[in-house]
Amino acid sequence: MFQKILIANRGEIGLRIARACRELGIKSVAVYSTPDAESAVVRFADEAVHIGPAATGRSYLHVPSIVGAALKTGADAIHPGYGFLSEDPYFAEICADSGITFIGPRPEVMERVGNKATARHLMQAAGLPLLPGTVDPVRTSDEAQDIADSIGYPVIIKAAAGGGGRGMNVAWRRDELVRTYQTTRATAMAVFKDSAVYIERYLEKARHTEVQVLCDQYGNGIYLGERDCSVQRRHQKLIEEGPSIHLDAAARKAIGEAAVRGALSVGYSSAGTMEFLLDENGQFTFMEMNARIQVEHPVTEMITSVDLIQQQIRIAANEPLAITQADVDIRGHAIECRINAEDPDNNFSPTPGRLDTYAPPGGPWTRVDSHCYPGWTVSPFYDSLIAKLIVWAPDREAAIDRMQRALAEFHISGRGVKTTIPFHQRVLAHPTFRRGEIFTNFLEQGFYQQAAS
Amino acid sequence: MKEAEREGSLDPELVHQVWQEARDLIKRLEGSTVSRLAVQAGDYRIEIERSATIVAADGNAATGAGAITSGPAAKPPVEGRMPVVAPLLGTFYRSPQPGAKPFVEEGDVVDQGQPIAIVEAMKIMNQVASEHSGRVAEILVKDGDWVEFQQVLMYLEPVEA
Repeated sequence: MFQKILIANRGEIGLRIARACRELGIKSVAVYSTPDAESAVVRFADEAVHIGPAATGRSYLHVPSIVGAALKTGADAIHPGYGFLSEDPYFAEICADSGITFIGPRPEVMERVGNKATARHLMQAAGLPLLPGTVDPVRTSDEAQDIADSIGYPVIIKAAAGGGGRGMNVAWRRDELVRTYQTTRATAMAVFKDSAVYIERYLEKARHTEVQVLCDQYGNGIYLGERDCSVQRRHQKLIEEGPSIHLDAAARKAIGEAAVRGALSVGYSSAGTMEFLLDENGQFTFMEMNARIQVEHPVTEMITSVDLIQQQIRIAANEPLAITQADVDIRGHAIECRINAEDPDNNFSPTPGRLDTYAPPGGPWTRVDSHCYPGWTVSPFYDSLIAKLIVWAPDREAAIDRMQRALAEFHISGRGVKTTIPFHQRVLAHPTFRRGEIFTNFLEQGFYQQAAS
Repeated sequence: MKEAEREGSLDPELVHQVWQEARDLIKRLEGSTVSRLAVQAGDYRIEIERSATIVAADGNAATGAGAITSGPAAKPPVEGRMPVVAPLLGTFYRSPQPGAKPFVEEGDVVDQGQPIAIVEAMKIMNQVASEHSGRVAEILVKDGDWVEFQQVLMYLEPVEA
């Protein structure tokens, strides 16, 4: 096992990883940029290193500073969290070259699944069902037009290197195709420095259903149930829950086994997520793979009692999986609401600022993963996540009730700061959500505007 | 927060009042983006520069409970001294290559922009140029020491005309 882990991240996930280290008896090193000098993980970790200014390019994304900090502090492993360098094969390679274990999949595996078009190709080869579309990048707008015509509209055009819900656009009709293709390519080039895009059928009534997998370095893999993340705005998740109420035991087994088969077929090791779309008829198709721990991992932790961060660390330390598929017992229902410093009434625009009040809820089966405290400033330089509120209950109905209770208890205020709490309250109070009849287009259908008025 | 300038009369009553006023102002400005404020009474003037972020003014930003202090414990800066800080994290070198003459010695006068040290990060040599002109008053870090971002490397003092 490792002696000391450097956490190449910030915010709630930095603290989450440091807590896992503490419980495992491993020393932790936080790295921080100037505005994060007073952050929770800096206070909590055993050591902290100032690596750079606010700009991520010179701090949390600056490989020499992070690797330098690890070498100096004698860390034998680096946990990248999510975002930042978590899916950067080049970073993982430099860690390895410097004699530091990168907690995640091997660089070459990361590279393969990180490209969404390549991942489609690989998963098709592993026998996973895909939506009609291309498995290779589309080179020209003529080619795009031909492909879209043969698939049928609407189609979605996605950046192969995309992530975080960015770089994808829907062409609803034939006459929108070329423009959508060109826009997506331009965005892909600007944001991801890779203009490659691919095309697939766009499902209007689909549920974003993702399977959590754990694979060790000896070819063992298990699935830990699924999460439904259909409440999204602009392809960004806001509410996640598990298990999906649209899968029965047989369907759960089928999608879970497909997920593990896909992950093992590419030599994956670590915690990972296989994202699928579940259509109205319960048919699932592979969408993409996330080669990292995800924001919404607590949902799975609550229904399986498995600490996913600790598992990631154990796998990276060459331990074989101690849990078998038969040990995975999904109990009850968990929901996570992302509390962001954003104004839901103003197109979710970020509202950074100092938190004068920060009073998280408590009570039974209520978990808050957050780095915030009264006086903490939500920085305009980084993402707007304030807290993840997760509740567990024996069934979905009771979990919704519990979440409503907890949301009402959550008090956050500060000059100019707005949060997504009112948004969550409106969604949870909506009969469509209660009935579980949500599809990924829920917000686009104008529900929110209606509910707000 | 940084006390930038203090000058003028030393009437203790007045000094006290001005400070009081400044303190109130600072409290009221908390959470705002105002970065500079000045309070003046007679000859006495206080100028406060607030950094937009929470960081110790003397460059010693290692504030975490378990924070490493790799350099010497930060001393309160001497009046008029200007810190030269590390532009990034890495290994500090005083000379362009091993065995070569150091860029500067204590007592040397340097011009703004003059190279005064190297910070090496993953085999990349980053030259540290002086932000100010002045005399090297004190070099705080030893050759080969590891420095954090913004750690004070040396102090310059103004050269009297």
